[in-house]
Amino acid sequence: MLVSWKWLKDFVDIRLTPEELVDRLTMAGLEVESLQENVPSFTGVVVSKILSVRPHPGADKCFICEVTTGDAKYPVVCSAGNIRPGNVVPLAKVGATIPGGYTIRTSKIKGEVSEGMLCSEEELGIGSDASGVMILSEHLSPGADLASALDLKDVVLDIGITPNRADCLSIAGIAREIAAITGSPFSYPRISLPERGEDIHGITSVDILDPDLCPRYSARVIKNVTIAPSPLWLRRRLEAVGMRAINNVVDITNYVMMELGQPLHAFDHRFLEEGRIVVRRSRAEEKFTSLDEKERVLRPDTIMICDGVKPVAIGGVMGGLNSEVKEDTETILLESAYFDPSSIRKSAKWLGMNTDAAFRFGRGVDPEGVIRALDRAAQLMAEIAGGTVCKGHIDQYPKKVETAGRIPLRIERVNDILGTRIGEAEITETLKRIGMLIEKEQEGHYRVTPPTYRVDITREIDLIEEVARLHGYDCIPVTIPPVSVKPVIRDSREVAKDRIREILRGSGYSEVITYSFISPSAVDCLLLRADDARRNLVKIENPLTEDQAVMRTTLIYSLLETMKKNANVGCTDLKVFEIGRVFFQRREGELPCEKEQLGCLLTGMRSDHLWSSKTYADFFDLKGCVENIFDSLKISEIRFMHDYRETFLHPGKSCGIFIGDQPVGYAGEVHPDVLVKMDLKNRAYVLEIDLELLLRNFKDVTLYRELPRFPMVLRDVAFVVDEGLHAAGVIDLAMSAGKELLENVSVFDIYSGKSVPHGRKSLGLRFTYRASDRTLTDDEVNVLHNKIVKSVVEKTGAKIRGEEH
Amino acid sequence: MLKELEELQRQAEAELSSAKTEGEFLAVRTRYLGRKGLLTRLLRNIGNVEEEKRPLFGMRCNEIKEAISGKIDTALAKLASLRREEVLLRDKVDVTLPGRTHRYGRVHPITRVRQEICSIFAGLGFSVVEGPEVELDYYNFEALNIPKDHPARDMQDTFYIEDNIVLRTHTSPVQIRVMEKQRPPVRILSPGRVYRPDSDISHTPMFHQIEGLLVDKGITFADLKGVLTSFLKQLFGEDTALRFRPSFFPFTEPSAEVDIRCVMCSGSGCRVCGQSGWLEILGSGMVDPEVFKNVAYDPEEVTGFAFGLGLERIAMLKFGISDIRLFFENDRRFLEQF
Ligand SMILES: [Zn+2]
Repeated sequence: MLVSWKWLKDFVDIRLTPEELVDRLTMAGLEVESLQENVPSFTGVVVSKILSVRPHPGADKCFICEVTTGDAKYPVVCSAGNIRPGNVVPLAKVGATIPGGYTIRTSKIKGEVSEGMLCSEEELGIGSDASGVMILSEHLSPGADLASALDLKDVVLDIGITPNRADCLSIAGIAREIAAITGSPFSYPRISLPERGEDIHGITSVDILDPDLCPRYSARVIKNVTIAPSPLWLRRRLEAVGMRAINNVVDITNYVMMELGQPLHAFDHRFLEEGRIVVRRSRAEEKFTSLDEKERVLRPDTIMICDGVKPVAIGGVMGGLNSEVKEDTETILLESAYFDPSSIRKSAKWLGMNTDAAFRFGRGVDPEGVIRALDRAAQLMAEIAGGTVCKGHIDQYPKKVETAGRIPLRIERVNDILGTRIGEAEITETLKRIGMLIEKEQEGHYRVTPPTYRVDITREIDLIEEVARLHGYDCIPVTIPPVSVKPVIRDSREVAKDRIREILRGSGYSEVITYSFISPSAVDCLLLRADDARRNLVKIENPLTEDQAVMRTTLIYSLLETMKKNANVGCTDLKVFEIGRVFFQRREGELPCEKEQLGCLLTGMRSDHLWSSKTYADFFDLKGCVENIFDSLKISEIRFMHDYRETFLHPGKSCGIFIGDQPVGYAGEVHPDVLVKMDLKNRAYVLEIDLELLLRNFKDVTLYRELPRFPMVLRDVAFVVDEGLHAAGVIDLAMSAGKELLENVSVFDIYSGKSVPHGRKSLGLRFTYRASDRTLTDDEVNVLHNKIVKSVVEKTGAKIRGEEH
Repeated sequence: MLKELEELQRQAEAELSSAKTEGEFLAVRTRYLGRKGLLTRLLRNIGNVEEEKRPLFGMRCNEIKEAISGKIDTALAKLASLRREEVLLRDKVDVTLPGRTHRYGRVHPITRVRQEICSIFAGLGFSVVEGPEVELDYYNFEALNIPKDHPARDMQDTFYIEDNIVLRTHTSPVQIRVMEKQRPPVRILSPGRVYRPDSDISHTPMFHQIEGLLVDKGITFADLKGVLTSFLKQLFGEDTALRFRPSFFPFTEPSAEVDIRCVMCSGSGCRVCGQSGWLEILGSGMVDPEVFKNVAYDPEEVTGFAFGLGLERIAMLKFGISDIRLFFENDRRFLEQF
């Protein structure tokens, strides 16, 4: 909320610099977000008096004026027709600067010398009136600096008001707070109201049909107003706090709202049928055209302000087009009311009309401040718009607005919560400073009644907060609570996830974080089958964009998008991973199923150095990374199964990843059709693993195994087998034939082409033999090795390379 | 004869000093020390020397022989080493070429900050728990003392899945879930993704928070100040100045916003801190009695404090990043800076 320093000073004497005040307010919970000095954007402009005006002999619409600044006289050529001898006007002297970067110089206009310029409000940037030269008060003395004569300098604070502090949504509210912080006295403006002529009760009446929505409604009638622009000081104050000036009557209602926090509404009385006000709740499907000329359908239970026949305003939100103040308005019916905050909030939200009035009613205005605001506005209408305030006011108050009272307060509790030793006297004095009524019940026990504008204070803890805030958070000690005896055991899932990050980092993968929401078309991009569970998307009702309209059910799409974004900036080599959740829709009203997944993507060159090897990464680079992860998590029962199919993976270069018989994820090359759909050019390899399932098998235990004491014996053999035969199958066969002396079988070569028959491949295997209790002899190994090789040959139809013929 | 001997030595040394190649050195050796060499010949003719001068003559002969021989050996060794270096230098590499390695990957800056914060709090006895990202309205709002249509709901725009299901707008609902299941004392930290419909240079629709909660008998606002002061000094440095100022959160009372001295301008005022010299770092407060009632804790029995902070904000300050969207664009050139 914008707050004018000058305006504040109407209520409280501030003996601080603006910077000091900013600090004090901020440390008391009214955060000052910015401080701006409003200084006029002109220099060298002074007050002058017109001595004479005569027509310009050479130019039709121009005049030659003689003006005085007291000690000197100047001839000035001017084209405005609103000036008369005797007028006091602003003179921009030679050398003056005015907004827009203009500097005034002596000039000759059609033969006549002009030494300066008489300015309009608009030309000086202090108002919007551009109709003629600005006519100043006759009391200003010629020669005086205009900026100081008009008191144009001000400081404007922008204060962030937290939702609980409805009482601070006004200049008076802030001033009250400043008074409490600084100890200066606070006082409301004195209202003197000359009531004349007719009694209001003869002119109008107010009936509240639904007091639950409108507990209080007060009104005054002001006759004979003249609608005109507001005086400069009023307009400038409104503009300082960010409001646009409209006309004097409307400006006064806004002015009083900003000043006292009570929204008001002015009706043109002649448009009120039967001349009276009825307050009721809206009828089903009721329609209404508000001031902004939009027809609106109202929610049930909207507060409607009506005349004898029809609605004329949406209570507390916005006035109606049918009763607004017009240029020829003469009689005003002024409304000052208290509306149910919750009802206002609902209506404002429903209508999408978060007006200044609705905002304040919604947060809760002071139910006892209604009449003060009504009288203040009536006074200003008399003073500024020339109105006659009719005798008396109407104050319908059928339902007392309950505010909290007699809240119990224990001194001990204050210090227990804050960790302080604030004395009883300081606590009670502090509360009194902010208008609280204190009754002592017994030693250390009090009853506290907050002022009616402090709608946020209803409980003991609210009082404790007030004490803490005004005592100063800075003055509260700093202590460390004893650490519990129970040691912190790091969640094994966290440990495992950090270990995965570490392994992947070491393997060259960088972590990415992508949005959890994706485009609903993602599932089509990935060619998911109609019955794929990943089509059970959780939809967002109010997404920011269609691209972010559903929660993802796989990380792959996000990773492919990351690849695309990088390709667009020339990074075609990419190794990335993400740890994030996926979401599956369950029944309506139930929370979705959330699963944490690991996803990796690999594309481009295997390594960064172009000058050395220029090979592209492939499936096995990715697989190696999976193996590393499993290895580091001590999960040994990992299996890669080819007959597991993902629609978005290359059918020949993909596999399911299993722990025992449990599928935990997949890895493979992205299907070329998916690349096309996503407009990607390079091959990419992806994997996705369900972390819940993976971590269930994670063993955070390391057991040392004795190093072998006897040497190993190696035997290499190349089998020529069918191309379709899996290496793992051959190895399994060999291992089962080898018993305990065969320690390991590994692949050392894969070859197909020249010297290997078509449709076959050469599979080079290295056998490692070792006994745990002796050194094996060559003969012993030869016998066993030949037996194993024979067994493999028999079971697979393999030939031994070099012995095919 | 002795004179002849001295002359021979001078001659040999002169030849050695002009010798350059291995051949030349070897030739000197043969000429003087070989079987028919000049020095050898002189030594062989020792009989011609006067008897009493013979021992001296023999000794000089040997001295000169050793001197010449030593110089030749040294020179030859030096030549051999030079030749070896020359051979090896033919196999020279360009050391300015980039090293061959699998580049290591990077941890996302948000993860880095999260790990750092979690480990600081682990030292203060806080353990990590997680909660759902898609959350019931009850946990995200109502149980945290934010009823429907409450003005405090204006503070956070919300993504809705259904009327009563939202994308959590903060990590605070984890407080409720933990307290529902666990009796006091409670010391937890809950990091995670949160969501609000906002998108510009300082907002992304998804971001990260860490929530902390400590509940026990006799916990005070002074304890809140102590724990958070210790945390922020560990995170930003021992000399970091901070201030606690009153604020409002529906689920804490009294509430405090915690600021640190601007890390960019050290308090003199700059664009990052909006000229105030202070940076808002976290929100905190004593758990509101209303919240305790919602989880069946007795507010007269236990008290506690909660706090929450945005990881992106911390990362932006620590690494000098000015556009929050960079965290989620995952541009390799960005990621590789961490
Ligand atoms: Zn700064």
